[in-house]
Amino acid sequence: MAIKQNRSPLRVLADLSLFFCILLAPVCSATPATAPATLLQVKSGLTDPEGVLSGWSPETDVCSWHGITCLPSEVGIVTGLNLSGYGLSGVIPPAIGELISIESIDLSSNSLTGAIPAELGMLENLRTLLLFSNSLTGTVPPELGLLKNLEVLRIGDNRLHGEIPPHLGNCTELETLGLAYCELNGTIPAELGNLRRLQRLALDNNTLTGGIPDQLTGCASLRVLSVSDNMLQGNLPSFIGSFSNLQSLNLANNQFSGGIPAEFGNLSSLTYLSLLGNRLTGAIPEELNRLGQLQILDLSMNNISGKLSISTAQLKNLKYLVLSGNILDGEIPEDLCAGDSSSLENLFLSGNNLGGGIEALLNCSALQSIDVSNNSFTGAIPPSIDRLSGLINLGLHNNSFTGVLPPQIGNLSNLEILSLFHNGLTGEIPPEIGRLQKLKLLFLYENQMSGTIPDELTNCTSLEEVDFFGNHFHGHIPERIGNLKNLAVLQLRQNDLSGPIPESLGECRSLQALALADNRLTGTLPESFGQLAELSVVTLYNNSFEGPLPESLFQLKNLTVVNFSHNRFSGSLIPLLGSSSLTVLALTNNSFSGVIPAAVARSRSMVRLQLGGNRLAGAIPAELGNLTHLNMLDLSFNNLSGDIPAELSNCVQLTHLKLDGNNLTGSVPSWLGELRSLGELDLSSNTLTGGIPADLGNCSGLLKLSLSDNHLSGSIPPEIGRLTSLNVLNLNKNSLTGAIPPALRQCNKLYELRLSENALEGPIPPELGQLSELQVILDLSRNRLSGEIPASLGDLVKLERLNLSSNRLDGEIPSSLRQLTSLHLLNLSDNLLSGEVPAGLSSSFPAASFTGNDDLCGDPLPQCSPSSTRRLPRTEVAVIVSGIAVVSAAVCVALMYTMLRVWSNWRAVSVSSSDGEESAHGGRDNKWGAAGAGDGKYWKVGSPVSSTAAEEKHSSGSETSVLHGKLTEASGAAKS
Amino acid sequence: MAARRAVALVALLALAAAAPARASNDEGDALYALRQRLKDPNGVLQSWDPTLVNPCTWFHVTCNQASRVERLDLGNSNISGSLGPELGRLVNLKYLELYRNNFDGEIPKELGKLKNLISLDLYANKLTGSIPKSLSKLSSLRFMRLNNNKLTGSIPRELAKLSNLKVIDLSNNDLCGTIPVDGPFSTFPLRSANTALLFSFENNSRLNGPELQGLVAYDSGC
Repeated sequence: MAIKQNRSPLRVLADLSLFFCILLAPVCSATPATAPATLLQVKSGLTDPEGVLSGWSPETDVCSWHGITCLPSEVGIVTGLNLSGYGLSGVIPPAIGELISIESIDLSSNSLTGAIPAELGMLENLRTLLLFSNSLTGTVPPELGLLKNLEVLRIGDNRLHGEIPPHLGNCTELETLGLAYCELNGTIPAELGNLRRLQRLALDNNTLTGGIPDQLTGCASLRVLSVSDNMLQGNLPSFIGSFSNLQSLNLANNQFSGGIPAEFGNLSSLTYLSLLGNRLTGAIPEELNRLGQLQILDLSMNNISGKLSISTAQLKNLKYLVLSGNILDGEIPEDLCAGDSSSLENLFLSGNNLGGGIEALLNCSALQSIDVSNNSFTGAIPPSIDRLSGLINLGLHNNSFTGVLPPQIGNLSNLEILSLFHNGLTGEIPPEIGRLQKLKLLFLYENQMSGTIPDELTNCTSLEEVDFFGNHFHGHIPERIGNLKNLAVLQLRQNDLSGPIPESLGECRSLQALALADNRLTGTLPESFGQLAELSVVTLYNNSFEGPLPESLFQLKNLTVVNFSHNRFSGSLIPLLGSSSLTVLALTNNSFSGVIPAAVARSRSMVRLQLGGNRLAGAIPAELGNLTHLNMLDLSFNNLSGDIPAELSNCVQLTHLKLDGNNLTGSVPSWLGELRSLGELDLSSNTLTGGIPADLGNCSGLLKLSLSDNHLSGSIPPEIGRLTSLNVLNLNKNSLTGAIPPALRQCNKLYELRLSENALEGPIPPELGQLSELQVILDLSRNRLSGEIPASLGDLVKLERLNLSSNRLDGEIPSSLRQLTSLHLLNLSDNLLSGEVPAGLSSSFPAASFTGNDDLCGDPLPQCSPSSTRRLPRTEVAVIVSGIAVVSAAVCVALMYTMLRVWSNWRAVSVSSSDGEESAHGGRDNKWGAAGAGDGKYWKVGSPVSSTAAEEKHSSGSETSVLHGKLTEASGAAKS
Repeated sequence: MAARRAVALVALLALAAAAPARASNDEGDALYALRQRLKDPNGVLQSWDPTLVNPCTWFHVTCNQASRVERLDLGNSNISGSLGPELGRLVNLKYLELYRNNFDGEIPKELGKLKNLISLDLYANKLTGSIPKSLSKLSSLRFMRLNNNKLTGSIPRELAKLSNLKVIDLSNNDLCGTIPVDGPFSTFPLRSANTALLFSFENNSRLNGPELQGLVAYDSGC
């Protein structure tokens, strides 16, 4: 048949096909005799899981077949085929086009696949065609435009693609056209405007583009116009306002722009209007207030500005008013709910620029949900809020409400959600809250509320989520918290709560997340904790909990995140290892003891394992190598011994590896170079031996590398220069030999470089002058470095501290060091330097910065003179030496006395000696030489910096400011 | 459908409410807020996980012993975007090293809250607007390098209060007016005598030489 191959969208051809079809009627049409055969052919193409077609057999009357309707008067004239919702799969065979007498086909809600057969276009009697909710593919056949009698066409919720055929505009009897939820593209055909009888047009959820064509003005009978979730654009056509029968208008989630036409106010039958999620601008037209039938008005997520000009005086049926996510400003109008006639049940104004109070809402007596969050509302929560007795949801969060939570809140007996977070609320939680028996969510977080948590709260037995984070609540967690059997989330972090966790908490069997961190809670964890079988996230950090963990905790098989850091827990870790789903186990800074149990490694999804600052002993378990998702492994500051297990090389996602402050032995493993994600590697303060592996140069993302305070030997591998991201390199206190590799110049992001207390020799590579970001310190002291100080070090303009002391450096101090404008601590003492101290330095730094260099002279050291280089006879030397000995003994006594005095004063003043370079675990890190007051002698003198240095050492207080004042004064004096 | 949408909205409300409940501490929140406004093509902020207890394990963030943020090192990281008021919440910050990036927008006046700040390195970015007066409250500040930006306006007189200031580099901007002579600025004339480049104001075409008290209005040329 010609029609079979005809996929041309040209209407002429389609019409021609029809013409031929009529001409060849005996061939095309299904006579009564052929209908059963055709239907059996249809059946043969289908899979029928429920067996509804089992009765379709040639032996029985076709009109008795399931789903078949026949004309009552004549025998065997099939008019209806209804097989909706039987789980049928397979394709619709083209033979269906032979059921010429059929008027209604309903194959909706099955799992049919394949294309819609073009042959359906031959069924000239067809009035209803329902193929929606299948998995049909292909395009919408233009031949459907031949169906002159078609009244209902619903083929949406399939996987149809391509454009909407304009031929559908020929189906002039159409009352319902449903093409929603497909993958149709292109524009809405103007020809649809021919459908004068069309009442329902649904094109939602496609990818249609372009505007709403003007021709659609012809669809004057429309009751439902729904084109949401497409990519339609342009202005909203005002002609829609003339559709006097329109009940539902859904243009949501498109790209419509411009204003809302005032003509929409003429839609006197409209009950539903959604313009949500477009780019509409301008004000809400006053005319919308005339929509007396309107029940739902959703203008949210646009750019609508101006005042909230809605009054329910005429919008008597309005139940939902949704204006969230616009830029409305001003206040809620007094007449929003004038009189008692308001039907308004749900008011969503979230995310605008609205301000003022919310008293006007108290007239909206039918309100069930209020969401005015994310605005700039101010004032108090009105005590008469209890006039809204039907209130279920109250969202006032992210505003600037002040004052107290009124006790009348307890009268809102239907309240389920009370969300007041991030406001400026003060005062206590009224005990009346205990009357809210339906309350599920109570969010008070990030306010300034105080007082105790009332015991009455435990009467709110429907509570599922409680969040009081970031307030000032004090006192105990209510003893009867266990009454809250439905509680899933309890967040009390960052308050001033004290006392123990009540034993009854174990009764909160639904609890999934418990956050009590950042309080002053004490005591041991109750045995009942082990009953919280649903518990997944538990954070207790920064409290004063103590004692061993109850063994019952081992029953918590669903734990995923555990953070007990910064408490005083002791004993074994084993109670926390009942779960094999842990992703975070953070127990830093407690007093846990024993070994690290291998069972930790059962949680294969572990991302962070932080056990630093405890008393764990024994070896690092090799099983940790199974934790291949591990990002952070912090075992620092324990008493761990043995080698670093090779199995850790499997933890290829490690970003932080901190094993410092233990008794680890063996070598620095070369496989560390395979951990390409590593950003921090700290193995300092162990007893590691051997060399620094060159492979470390492969950790190209490394930011901090500290191997200090070990027994490492050999030379610094030049491959370290490949660590171009490195910020901090600390190799202090080892036995490293050889020269400083010039390749270090490539580490041009270094701000801290410490190589002191080694046996490094050779010259200081001039290339170090290229480390232009060096800032905190360059410390090469206590080595065997020789040669001259490279002039290039003067290029380190950001450098604040330079220590080259106790080496064998000779020659003159390069005058370029005067360019070190940021320098405030300089130590060149105990070298073999000679000549005169350069002028710029001599005025800035004390003698201590230069002493111990026999041939160095000039201010602040003794004057340079020819005699200074003269050799003295032995006897003279002896006399001078003994004289010096006597004098220095006397000076020593005096000094010790003074130091004792200074020290005792120091103790009185000093609060913290931190200048911030220690690790979080405390001051084991050796800093710049001897820590404390001793450094002061190398500080720059006569400059404001020395006063800052003093400030850094003392933390604050009046003494500091006095000191500060004095020193600044002194510096001023020095200048003038 | 409509009812479903309304239900969804209520659910949304609940969701929106639940999300910040998991928020990290304030300094972490502040840094994360900063991150949100930044473009980070090299992924240097990848480790900034807001769900952690504190930001101390985030790369490029260094904390002190009390787990408060002390250094922020994002120099040379190809980051763009604007700085925000949230930086003012890092009250323990000593080093703010944001040099050589593509930061734009203004220097937030909230930086004035960083009473412990020693080093403010914002040089070589695309910062605009004027130098906030509030920076005069940075009583610990030693190093202020704002050079090579697009800063305009005059140098706030109040900066003369920064008695600890040691290095100030405002060169290569579009500043105007005169250079103060009080406080730390009084060392300015020493610059030529001492090769040390303590204070640099070069290449600000509309900036006049040091203010000679009584002779030139300090904002002349602005």
